[in-house]
Amino acid sequence: MATKSFDHPFVDKVQQRGLLAGACGVVILFILAFADSQQFFQSYLVSYIYWLVISLGCLGLLMLHHLVSGRWGFVIRRLLESGARTLWLMAVLFIPIALLGMYHLYEWTHTDVVAKDPILTFKKPYLNETGFYIRAVVYFALWLLWMFLLTKWSREQDETGEPGLKSRMINLSGPGIPMFILTVTFAATDWVMSLEPHWFSTIYGLIFVIGGALGAMALCILWVIKLKDVEIYREVDAFKYLSDLGTLMFAFTCLWAYVSFSQFLIIWSGNLAEEAPWYIRRSHGGWQYVGIALIIFHFFLPFFLLLQRAIKRRAALMTVIAIFMLIMRYVDLYYFITPAFGHGGASGLYRYVADVLTFVSIGGLWLGFFAMQLKGVPLMPLHDPRMAETFAGEGH
Amino acid sequence: MGSPAPIKDPTMPAPVLGPGQTYTTVTQRLSAIITSRTPLGWIAALLIAGGILQLLMLSATWLLIKGTGIWGLNIPVGWGWAIINFVWWIGIGHAGTLISAILLLMRQQWRNSINRFAEAMTIFAVMCAGMFPLLHTGRPWVAAYWLLPYPNTMSVWPQFRSPLIWDVFAVGTYFTVSLIFWYLGLIPDFATLRDKAKHKISQIIYGVLSMGWRGSAKHWFNYEMAALLLAGVSTPLVLSVHSIVSLDFSVGLIPGWHATIFPPYFVAGAVYAGFAMVLTLGLPIRYFYGLHDYITDRHLNNMGKVMLATGLIVAYGYLMEQFFAWYSASPYEGYMMQNRTFGPYSGTYWSLILCNVAIPQLLWIKRVRLSPIWLFIISMFINVGMWLERFIIVVTSLHRDFMPSSWDMYHSTPWDWGLYAGTIGFFLFMMILFIRVMPVINIFEIRQLVANKNRGEHAETASADD
Repeated sequence: MATKSFDHPFVDKVQQRGLLAGACGVVILFILAFADSQQFFQSYLVSYIYWLVISLGCLGLLMLHHLVSGRWGFVIRRLLESGARTLWLMAVLFIPIALLGMYHLYEWTHTDVVAKDPILTFKKPYLNETGFYIRAVVYFALWLLWMFLLTKWSREQDETGEPGLKSRMINLSGPGIPMFILTVTFAATDWVMSLEPHWFSTIYGLIFVIGGALGAMALCILWVIKLKDVEIYREVDAFKYLSDLGTLMFAFTCLWAYVSFSQFLIIWSGNLAEEAPWYIRRSHGGWQYVGIALIIFHFFLPFFLLLQRAIKRRAALMTVIAIFMLIMRYVDLYYFITPAFGHGGASGLYRYVADVLTFVSIGGLWLGFFAMQLKGVPLMPLHDPRMAETFAGEGH
Repeated sequence: MGSPAPIKDPTMPAPVLGPGQTYTTVTQRLSAIITSRTPLGWIAALLIAGGILQLLMLSATWLLIKGTGIWGLNIPVGWGWAIINFVWWIGIGHAGTLISAILLLMRQQWRNSINRFAEAMTIFAVMCAGMFPLLHTGRPWVAAYWLLPYPNTMSVWPQFRSPLIWDVFAVGTYFTVSLIFWYLGLIPDFATLRDKAKHKISQIIYGVLSMGWRGSAKHWFNYEMAALLLAGVSTPLVLSVHSIVSLDFSVGLIPGWHATIFPPYFVAGAVYAGFAMVLTLGLPIRYFYGLHDYITDRHLNNMGKVMLATGLIVAYGYLMEQFFAWYSASPYEGYMMQNRTFGPYSGTYWSLILCNVAIPQLLWIKRVRLSPIWLFIISMFINVGMWLERFIIVVTSLHRDFMPSSWDMYHSTPWDWGLYAGTIGFFLFMMILFIRVMPVINIFEIRQLVANKNRGEHAETASADD
């Protein structure tokens, strides 16, 4: 049995190309940022939130795995850990938003606007720069702490096989889940909901939690398929669990539709002046087609495809569906974020260039970082006491 | 796979089945609950529950003679105990489907010994729930005429945009599917009872109920297929029923009702209440009939964890309501929350926080999750807490709405209490009858656990677990 780290040409390739694309992108972005910082930060925020939500989804699923110990979790635990470890990178990439971006993005940072607006004045105890900084530090500190301890103990477990580590990881993940859901909720409120500072919705945080889990699951499926020839994966026949992972992706797709539709139905039927503008902005000026596309392609199409076991077992089809879901995650977040800017951004080509470039450079760095984390360790947690039992009696 | 040196795992869960069980002991032990002589304790319990049931008869009769004026309803609180009790009972009815459908699809073996009475509980709870809106119409014998859409000469249709009419369909579907699911699972056990029964009449009754089950491979194949399909159909129902119940409130504009978190928060609350009731009933049954080998520490631990998780989601709902009532900057939302927390009903609100949020935190401790007494006490607190939650949502939101001139307090009357206590009597009466005439634990699924154990498969660890 292989107990050491593995080599796979694909991982090296992703690491090199990802980091290269990221590095080049950052240079070009630097120029763009000076050309039109308003548009730059609008595009940057969408791409940043997209990759951050996937990192967070990995952390959330990792804690869920420790608590429920399903077979699917052992197959993707290393992928989730590597995904969660990109939170270091995401913390660094938050700096441009915190230093400069927030003045371009958030209306409530402008004192003259706040002074004229009684609602924003009322919200000032929460929506103010100091509070924003303190909360951001708290969110990242908590995420990094949990991520650091969970991945550190997991690596120690690989080396020593010390059985006590398992209970430590379980005991940390228990309170980790409430911590995670609360911090993600308030982070989503601070960084995304407050783009339209008058608007509010109590289910908003859950939409981000579930969206993150969905994105992380789609990414893991892609990697499991790509790495299915690695020795450890062949030994436990990891490919067999592809349909379990597909079922989880199906479940998260349904939950996403459930929370998104709940929010829509309640706000639509209430038709109140405080809430409705959020959907009004998103149902005019071309956004209505994006909304309809989300209903069809973020829910109905994957719903009917993933309902079928035959599809969930075929690598080629699952690759396509997983990539498709990752694209739809971007469309969903774009639909959440971009209409908030109204007409404030650049129009035409420049805007799309900025969107694509920010996505590619942050994504490149993310994937490069991810591959780097994945390379140093065995692809499965070999000394986890539960794993041996879980995969025992499977020898056929 | 060549596994590394075996390591003693401190996190290894307890088995789902006690030691030394064989096919014979399982069948003997579980069917003896029904075929043995009637215990005196059972008769006493039935009489007590039957006594409480008389309150239902009395309150319902008086209600139909006098009308809903005998309740504490007033304007502005036009929805009182009837809707509170309806939502409370529907919530309790959620554990059954969750355990039988979702846990079946997730291949959770520990569901096997608790699914039967959880399903029975679901059916009786939904019956209790259904009584309230029907009685609230004042003339339940013509309720179908108002509730169901049908073509008529006056072209009068129900308002399809109203969640109240969605409720009729959601609850109706839920009841039907739960009943079919429950009956399907009972068929192989009815056949066992038919074969075990000594009396001619019980042989005939169980024989008819078992629908000619002989246990052939083909029968089992069909059974497994049907169970899987019904599980698939029931799974969305777990979410849909209580989501639609939550829409009864949240599509309205009243502060405290109109919140987007309502659907998931109500569903979590329902599962929370459902598991609490499973423990409230399951622990005494386990104790009186000595079923410790079938409802093991593993079950208690897992049910405790499910209650902890759903309780935390409910707490998250309370927190979001508090935070966004302030963040909304709406004076109505803000006043509603201040009135709820510090107004005339603040005692009820803080009792709710105590019952639903504070006390259940004890479930973080493993010793508490393994102790039947602690679990019973906590589950009683949750039963009360979930009732208080619905009271808070219904009454504090209505009694002071937008116009101070129409504000009023709400006072329940003895008839409110009588009807509510009466449905509890009905519920207990039905459960006690059920224990005596139908197998309270699924006999054939427990035999399957024995089979798995004999095959040397570690059934309890092989699946996605806990």
